[in-house]
Amino acid sequence: MLRVADVRSGYGKLEILQSVSLAVGEGEIVGLIGPNGAGKSTLLKTAFGYLAPFAGEVALEGRPLVGLRPDQVVRLGVGYVAQAGGLFADMTVHENLLLGGYALRSSREARAAVDDLYARFPLFAARRRQPAGSLSGGEQRILAVARALAVRPRLLLLDEPSAALAPRFIADVYDTIRALNGGGIAMLIVEQNVEAILAVAHRVFVLDLGRNAFDGTPAELRASDRIRRLYLGEDEG
Amino acid sequence: MIARVRVIAVPAALVVAALLPALIPHPFVLTLATQAMVWALLAASWDLLSGYTGQVSFGHAGFFALGAYAAATATKHADLSPWLGLVFAALVAALVGGLAGFPALRLRGHYLALVTLGLAEIVRLVAQNWLELTGGPFGIHDYRTFPGLPAAPLAHRQARYVIVVAIVAASVVAMRALCERTPAGKAFRAIREDEVLAEMLGIRTTVYKLLAFVVSSAFAGLAGALYAYDVQLVSPSVASAATTSFVIGMAVFGGLGTVWGPVLGALLLFGLSEGLRFIGVVYNLIAVGLVIMIFVVFVPRGLAGGRRTA
Amino acid sequence: MLESLAEFAIQGIVLGGLYALFAVGLTLIFGVLDVINVAHGEFFAIGGYLAFAAIVVLHWPGAAGVAGAAVGTFLLGLGVYPLLLAPLKRRLGARPRGPLYLVLTLGLSTFLQSSLLAAAGGDYLRVPPYAGGVLDLSFTAVSHQRLLVLVVSIVLLGGLFLFLRFHREGLAVRAVAQNPDAAQAMGINLPRVFALTLALGVGLAGAGGALMAPLFNVYPTVGFPLTIKAFAITILGGMGNLAGALVASFLISLAEAFSVMLIPSEWQNAIAFAVMIVMLLLRPSGLLGGGGRR
Repeated sequence: MLRVADVRSGYGKLEILQSVSLAVGEGEIVGLIGPNGAGKSTLLKTAFGYLAPFAGEVALEGRPLVGLRPDQVVRLGVGYVAQAGGLFADMTVHENLLLGGYALRSSREARAAVDDLYARFPLFAARRRQPAGSLSGGEQRILAVARALAVRPRLLLLDEPSAALAPRFIADVYDTIRALNGGGIAMLIVEQNVEAILAVAHRVFVLDLGRNAFDGTPAELRASDRIRRLYLGEDEG
Repeated sequence: MIARVRVIAVPAALVVAALLPALIPHPFVLTLATQAMVWALLAASWDLLSGYTGQVSFGHAGFFALGAYAAATATKHADLSPWLGLVFAALVAALVGGLAGFPALRLRGHYLALVTLGLAEIVRLVAQNWLELTGGPFGIHDYRTFPGLPAAPLAHRQARYVIVVAIVAASVVAMRALCERTPAGKAFRAIREDEVLAEMLGIRTTVYKLLAFVVSSAFAGLAGALYAYDVQLVSPSVASAATTSFVIGMAVFGGLGTVWGPVLGALLLFGLSEGLRFIGVVYNLIAVGLVIMIFVVFVPRGLAGGRRTA
Repeated sequence: MLESLAEFAIQGIVLGGLYALFAVGLTLIFGVLDVINVAHGEFFAIGGYLAFAAIVVLHWPGAAGVAGAAVGTFLLGLGVYPLLLAPLKRRLGARPRGPLYLVLTLGLSTFLQSSLLAAAGGDYLRVPPYAGGVLDLSFTAVSHQRLLVLVVSIVLLGGLFLFLRFHREGLAVRAVAQNPDAAQAMGINLPRVFALTLALGVGLAGAGGALMAPLFNVYPTVGFPLTIKAFAITILGGMGNLAGALVASFLISLAEAFSVMLIPSEWQNAIAFAVMIVMLLLRPSGLLGGGGRR
């Protein structure tokens, strides 16, 4: 569904990704892990259009994404949930969700989409007039994910959905992720919390120093001593 | 290209500047050349603070005016010798620059530009309304210029030109030396690139920012005094935003952050604008505006082509 | 004594409407684009010139002239972002170099002012008042023309606030002001929002210029004193904070009106600057704090 081939990318003159390739199949959850500075977030941003790659290809179902702006990529059916959510903290829950539906063709469609979201996520219906910043960390993260669903994306890019969350909230977020995937949405998830992602991913790519270091199923990852030691930490897995 | 510009243009400009009084002994040309030199000093002083140290000021017209008025009033009311008047003007401007610099230390970017703009406007309002001190809208005149110059009009002009050029050249060399050959200069550059990082590296940014303010305003005031003694009329319009706009245009044209680039930019832009004046009075500022816009976007390093962008 | 106070208050309020129209537009531009539009006053002047052209030259009725001037200024403003600001942004990338944008708009200001001078000359052009007569309150009289300016300003600003609060595109504008990256992820076209917001902001200034043409006359530098004052107002209200700009506009205009009792009138203009400087030194975030990202 999503194909990333030999991408070189970075900020200004600073090259972060040397050559990275990966693929996300239909309905798959693909995890992206690796040490800090490996370029995981950079890859996500490059795929979504925040960064233009120096070289390489990114294609969604065969259609090239390189050169498109993020607002154009959204309209192709890709959602993006930034690290820490990217919510509009001073706006209400309702306004945030409405904005999620901005790319839909009319206000009426947007409102209908938001009503659907309230049905799926009742906790937001009750809180619709509250400022988004007043929700708990976990609720905010789920709101960010819910907001991205308004346009019915087929692929979601998530940047460290568990970052800075208490374990209880992490579980909530990943329950949501599992449920969404059950509905057929493919996901590419960057994570520092290796355990959380290994529990849901179909495949995992490991990045190190801007290059692919490994890819395989979570079981294959755990089976490799080298990978376990380098990336999963000795006492985990 | 960059190196060639410097190697050829700078010595050529210097030679022309030095020989001008002899080459073209025409009073009008000399008048223009003298004024161009004054602008050059003002532009260089602005660049030291805004281009080199990165503290963008929109109020240099204010320091210029302070120097001009200080010199004129001192010579007119206290009969201070113009030579001393130059020093006095620089000191007054430096003092105000230092006072303004203190609170400005806490401001960044937009805020600093706006507060300096406000200060310049206050200077202009004071100049316009404090009749006893500044002569109000009509300004100050009737004060003497440098003593000991030849009496014949042309020779007098030539001598004034030489004085101005000598002072401007010495000032620019001094500013350039400060920026390129002293630890202060290194600090200035560090502050411009990344102030937070500079602090963490142990550079006392407060001290150096204040220094940049004081030195920059001192030379701006000196330029103002030179203007006062050359033109022999100081009016509130010297503190106008058009002055600041002109100065910024010259610096951008010549190359921010180089000190000598704005000198080149000033001479060329002033020449361009005066040349256009022959076509039609109103078009010269259009050129200035266009230059600023085009150069900021497309030719960020200006003519000087400095190694660093602002 | 009370009558005098009331008279000053009325004058202050009436002037405040104009300041608000100007300052809110400037703040809107800053809040969304993060750029201080030094050329804002020139669009005010352009509004006046367009009104003159429509009413005096083409003999349009007053209301049409003002509306036409506002729309014309808006259309001109649409070009500013794509032609000027976008290229600089492309060159600078994400590096925040606010002062360079300031220098750019300063260049635009110089260019527009001198272009107006070249095109139309420096004469003060006269535009006849849109509304004759005065409103006679027992203690003072206010010209209908001035009241008209206040009323129209309030209507326009009210429309702006309603748009931002309730309309879908207004929501998008607010989103861009708060978090441009997240706004993009919602499918919001940033260059389009930037261009439209800037045009909207200067369009308000142009409307102000058209409305005030009978009172200020029309000449190239008519907008400049307002620009500097508007900087002061914007800082007082908190840069990027629209409600703050609104409140601060009236605070400054009332302060100026009442100051006549204490200081000679030539110094009135200094009040705004003095307030700005004091604000910047004590509380740079303004009375109400910065809106949006700041």
